[in-house]
Amino acid sequence: MADNRLAQEVFFAGTHGGEYGEWLQAWQAERAEGIETLLLDAHNQSLSVWGLDPDAHRVTQLVWRPPSPDSVWAADPAPSRVGIRETENAEPFIARTWPALPWSSGSPVVRGKGVFFYPLGPVRADVAESVEYRLAVMGDEMIHVDLRAGFKRRHVRTLVVGRYIDEAWPVVTRFTTTSNVHHTLAMALAVEKAWDISVSPTHTLLRTLFAELERIVSHLGDLAVLAVSTGLPLPQMEYLHLKELVLRLNYRLFGHRYLRDLIVPGGVQLTQWPQKADVTWALNTLATVYRQSSDIASGLLNTPSFLDRLHGAGVIPASTVAQVRPVGPVGRASGVSFDVRQALPYVAYVSHPIQPCVETSGDAYARFQVRVRELSVSLSLARILLEEWRDLDTGVQAARVLQMLKGPPLYSPGLGIVEAPRGLLVYGLYPHKDSGRIEHLAVATPSMRNWSAVPEAMANHNIMQDFPIIDASFSLSVSGWDG
Amino acid sequence: MYYWHWLRHIVRRPFTTGFPTEPDPTVARMADSGAVHTVTVPEGPFYRRSVALRHVDGGSCNGCESELGLLTSPDYDFSRYGFSFTPSPKHADILVVTGVVTEAMIPVIVATYEQMTAPKRVVALGTCAIDGWVFRDAPGVRGRLDSVIPVQVNIAGCPPTPADILRGLWAAIEGEPPPLPHRDGASHAEKQYELVKGESR
Ligand code: SF4
Repeated sequence: MADNRLAQEVFFAGTHGGEYGEWLQAWQAERAEGIETLLLDAHNQSLSVWGLDPDAHRVTQLVWRPPSPDSVWAADPAPSRVGIRETENAEPFIARTWPALPWSSGSPVVRGKGVFFYPLGPVRADVAESVEYRLAVMGDEMIHVDLRAGFKRRHVRTLVVGRYIDEAWPVVTRFTTTSNVHHTLAMALAVEKAWDISVSPTHTLLRTLFAELERIVSHLGDLAVLAVSTGLPLPQMEYLHLKELVLRLNYRLFGHRYLRDLIVPGGVQLTQWPQKADVTWALNTLATVYRQSSDIASGLLNTPSFLDRLHGAGVIPASTVAQVRPVGPVGRASGVSFDVRQALPYVAYVSHPIQPCVETSGDAYARFQVRVRELSVSLSLARILLEEWRDLDTGVQAARVLQMLKGPPLYSPGLGIVEAPRGLLVYGLYPHKDSGRIEHLAVATPSMRNWSAVPEAMANHNIMQDFPIIDASFSLSVSGWDG
Repeated sequence: MYYWHWLRHIVRRPFTTGFPTEPDPTVARMADSGAVHTVTVPEGPFYRRSVALRHVDGGSCNGCESELGLLTSPDYDFSRYGFSFTPSPKHADILVVTGVVTEAMIPVIVATYEQMTAPKRVVALGTCAIDGWVFRDAPGVRGRLDSVIPVQVNIAGCPPTPADILRGLWAAIEGEPPPLPHRDGASHAEKQYELVKGESR
């Protein structure tokens, strides 16, 4: 496969053996040239950052090896203050690798007359994941927001160490269920790169179909939450109904509502063989969803009370966009024109090119617009893929692949880079050179990165009543952050 | 303008399934005869008309939340049985816990449980909350809700479908899940549950 070869050619931008600050400067220089940061990883006594050059379709790696850890740390400035915000979520991880490193990621203390604190969470809203917001409010305005996560760490990355690939699979697919197709796809791509396994075109097509179906479900759910956050239960119910419709379609065609356990190393694994009649029915269902979702969206776009709440709510400040480089619909709504499906096409996106949907205002309205447009694109693409998909070949010999994965890999690390519904998702897999057991797994989820843009967007001249709208417009998952 | 949608829904047939009080083949196919286990048969009188649910995420992968959230959708509409979500534990009658129950969430779960007034019931939603599922051996994971607070009903599945969640909530009130309109052999959830119990790592 063409996509397999693409990311295999990792270009080493350089290894820095000197000061930590020098390495950070090299990283910043990379970013200034338009290289997107993919993954920050601390492994094997070195710190590396993987980047993607979208123009050259090339993956770069910038490594830093501390010459003598103790002396370097003592002299160094606090890393997270240097201005590259992706490090913040990697801090606990890096701090474990080098305990001597002085981290100072403390957020500023807000004090003063008339400042009230609202602790919100971890038990909050109706059905929500556990995370705590600490809102500092003056009058109606939110002046500072702190986020506390870590309530629900399941230590996925620690758990898979020492396991064979097939043993790690059940854990990886449960990293975040609402994007489990993309998690397994990224892992599968990483495995296939490490062992140099090729995937048959039909299986590639099906993988793309699963990915698009998952994006459809995710976007429909996010739009439903956004609609009700502005006090409009009718569009919420209509979106939820469409979401349920697609979930039932998933179940009827492939046997699982969230398409779990379908993507395996080397291809896809179907326990249920869809009938031709069902495909026709599925095409009609997707057409219905397309029609009705456009109808709801145009209804919302003609509802002044909805638009009034969204316009100008939760604008991500330009400085935060530059530092964090938010990914996915959140990033594209802030003018970051980056979509892995276009920048580094994988699976069937090679033959079905995608144009990123970009908005520049960076507010809740822009995020709504991007989701609505991406939903239509995904629905059309899913229909095209369903139509293209004719007969399933028996390309994957599961037993043979499984046997292979218990042996030495050809390359290490294997990288899997995909565009999950919430944005860039990267898996970096380091298998053991003889046994093939997982030595180290690095994961960068879109939520890990995008959460660090939330506090700034909220404390940007918004009032308390905007909180649920901004929260819903980001639609981030906590399990992807706390994995 | 949303008025047209509103009018259209008045004349249209409702989306809502009659399940579990009426057979609905589409939804019944997604339900699992082995999913709902009553752990302790709830004792004493309980509300039947207006039951408020409080959900706590004890470390889930958000699959269970996604399905639980669909209970409000027009397809399942749990409010026709009197269920509703409440933001405050003090108003809640049933505590629904999802996820593996991490050590960090134990005090939160206990506090939420204690804030609820009697009579109250607890539902463990998803195989994770029942016995930790694939995360049992992870550091900082307790893995069993019943080691933290008393549990009346377990709903197995990964994630359990909204149909199973409805039946489980029913069991939390009545002590028994409503009978399934159809069953064919050992269910997927039953097998999954056995798999978890039998697996030793
Ligand atoms: S039971 Fe499954 S879906 Fe539910 S929280 Fe656990 S892993 Fe996620």
